[in-house]
Amino acid sequence: MFASIDDVIQRFERNNYIASRRIATVIYLASSLLKPILVEGPAGVGKTDLAKVLAASLQKDLIRLQCYEGLDEAKALYEWEYAKQLLYTQILKDKVSEVLTGAKGLKEAVDRIAREDEVFFSERFVLPRPLLKAINSDKQCVLLIDEIDKSDAEFEAFLLELLSDFQISVPELGTIKAKHLPLVILTSNNAREMSDALKRRCLHLYIDFPTREQELAIVKLKVPGAADKLSQEVVTVVQSLRKLDLKKTPGISETLDWVKALTLLNVQSLDQELVNETLDTIVKYEGDVRKAQEELKDYVRRVRNRRGGEAAGSSDKDLLN
Amino acid sequence: MKEKLVEFANLLRDNGVRVSLAETLDAFSASEITGLSERDSFRCALRATMVKRASELPVFEELFDIYFSGLGEIIKQASKAVQDALSMSDQEFQKFLDEVEKMLKKEGKNLSELAKQLLKNNSGMMEKRISDAARAVRLKGIERTIEENYFARALARELGLDKIEAEIKELREQLEKMDLGDAMKARMEEYLERRLKALEDIIRRYVRMEREKKDIRQRENQRMNQIAEKSFYYLSEEELKKMQEAVQKLAARLKNVISVRRKHAKKGRFDIKLTLRKNLGCGGVPFNLRFERRKKEKPQVVILCDVSDSVRNASRFMLQFVYSLQDLYSRVRSFIFVSEIGEVTEHFRNNDIKDALDVALKGDIINVYAHSNFGYAFRSFVSDHIGAINKRTTVIVLGDARNNYNLPHDWCLREIRQRAKRVIWLNPESRNTWGFGDSEMDKYQLHCDMVEECRNLNQLYRVVDRLVVH
Repeated sequence: MFASIDDVIQRFERNNYIASRRIATVIYLASSLLKPILVEGPAGVGKTDLAKVLAASLQKDLIRLQCYEGLDEAKALYEWEYAKQLLYTQILKDKVSEVLTGAKGLKEAVDRIAREDEVFFSERFVLPRPLLKAINSDKQCVLLIDEIDKSDAEFEAFLLELLSDFQISVPELGTIKAKHLPLVILTSNNAREMSDALKRRCLHLYIDFPTREQELAIVKLKVPGAADKLSQEVVTVVQSLRKLDLKKTPGISETLDWVKALTLLNVQSLDQELVNETLDTIVKYEGDVRKAQEELKDYVRRVRNRRGGEAAGSSDKDLLN
Repeated sequence: MKEKLVEFANLLRDNGVRVSLAETLDAFSASEITGLSERDSFRCALRATMVKRASELPVFEELFDIYFSGLGEIIKQASKAVQDALSMSDQEFQKFLDEVEKMLKKEGKNLSELAKQLLKNNSGMMEKRISDAARAVRLKGIERTIEENYFARALARELGLDKIEAEIKELREQLEKMDLGDAMKARMEEYLERRLKALEDIIRRYVRMEREKKDIRQRENQRMNQIAEKSFYYLSEEELKKMQEAVQKLAARLKNVISVRRKHAKKGRFDIKLTLRKNLGCGGVPFNLRFERRKKEKPQVVILCDVSDSVRNASRFMLQFVYSLQDLYSRVRSFIFVSEIGEVTEHFRNNDIKDALDVALKGDIINVYAHSNFGYAFRSFVSDHIGAINKRTTVIVLGDARNNYNLPHDWCLREIRQRAKRVIWLNPESRNTWGFGDSEMDKYQLHCDMVEECRNLNQLYRVVDRLVVH
């Protein structure tokens, strides 16, 4: 476990994740109170990564459950292995008839079978899904329930028992209590609002887009090969794009993609043509691309003017080698 | 601390943040872990446990600043100001304070307790003293700006400010006789004077802070309530803006309710064919049951919105509602009319809300400066757009039914109703005036399934609730 908030920041940084004090505090609280965290925020700010890094920095297993519409208990919790059960009954046919020999009448036969039915509904035939795995795990683990907002309201209600008591009821086996309370992280993109009951049981963490300095630090950490000047320019551009009214605002992952792409092209600094050619790595809709181009035209012109002032006469074509 | 947290939770609740009891308990255990000394961590702890919606974060931040800026912070600032005025560094100031303490030991025997703490810069003790005094004069009861002076005086009296003043004056006179260097003496004198000023300052700022806390408690809440009851006709520019937020919230709520409802109705009857096919692997034994998926009945809505001058404020607002509806449902067709009728569905789909409304109200689509003529509008609708309506369509008419004594053509509405699932009329006029003057409401309402007065936000809320339920 973590010793302090600073410990969280350091360990996360060792795992290539720059956690603001805000994030670190919530992680620290969650690990000491053993409460689930509900992480919200726009797409691409590192919500899912947070769980991965948490698992890595504590050297624990990560169990991931991806939510989607129509996800039900059978896929999230456990399932009986029907085929295996069927196979066993077929193979054990002789044994079954042995049990039944000498039974008088149907009633006694059924009674005898009923005595044995626990064999078929034991843990042997349970197929554990992520939630049961997390509960049954011998070591403490990190459970990531990703994009909970995509799941149905019923599933959300079902999660409540898990999140407050860390136990699960399986009708045939009884209640299974967690051996070690897992660290749970739920992420949501706010496609719909979660119920108050769920929110009440969680710590809430809202991750917003990072500030310029934070984003620069992240780029430096994740793309060590990028030129300083390039990453600064890219971050400035992306930050200014976020202020526009776009359908899909570029997240950190888009910034990283762009820097990586430009670094791969061996670019040292941005120019108009380059921006137009590679813009689709960060802006994903036709309408957005148009808006972004307008904004960037201005930006590039301003940069050029400034540069022109500094070194009059020097050509602008030092951009692509 | 417990009391403070509970009070803060109440404050949040008063400002529309829903904080449950369990969450307050969580906040308490979380703040025990982070401790109170580090303000940022403490803030994070409260934020994570008490605020669960991103939209409520700004409210929290604002309230936290006001509430926990607290007396301690004020005292700290005041002593910092004294230090700055004497232009000393932290170390120098500390040394100077030691000096002061030495002097007090010798000379300050007849000083009162508070004066000593003040001069020694013991902020913890001062905080306790002042908050005790505040409790004694019931400072928490402060409500208005004009009461600030009264409470400041009362608090000063309770603390014995006069006495402290006299004591410090006396101390200054004694200073003359003391064997301190001239420079030290001058400094000491200035320090005493500034300290006294600082105490007055602390009292004043503390009282103001308490008043601000109260203020914030009531402000927002009342405003929203007032707006919700105010008729669309009389809203000011700023209120209109507030209203837009409210409408968006309303639409979001509608969306949530609808999505839940749809999902409940998803599973249908037992599907034999599908079950057999799915279970072929188990030798046809039906282990895995399958059900039919019920077809979603997508709500189809046709909206006819009056945008004539007589309902200008209301129609702007109604159009906004229409726009939000169109965002929610895929099959909404929106029409606007004064006397001609025109379709705005495409405009609303392709433009953001502000442009869309401008286009609709500026007269690019229909002549908005004509005299309203419901009869003509209905007749044109029936002859040109009747195909838009089928037996699953809900028709919503927004308008005041003021027909300028033209032919009402109510048979057109009857025709519409016969083809549609239902017709709903929302009228921004008070029910009392329906049917008087040129209002044809009494004729039209015969052909509607539901007629509602919709003059303000609360009424709109009610209508939406009913729309969703049925």
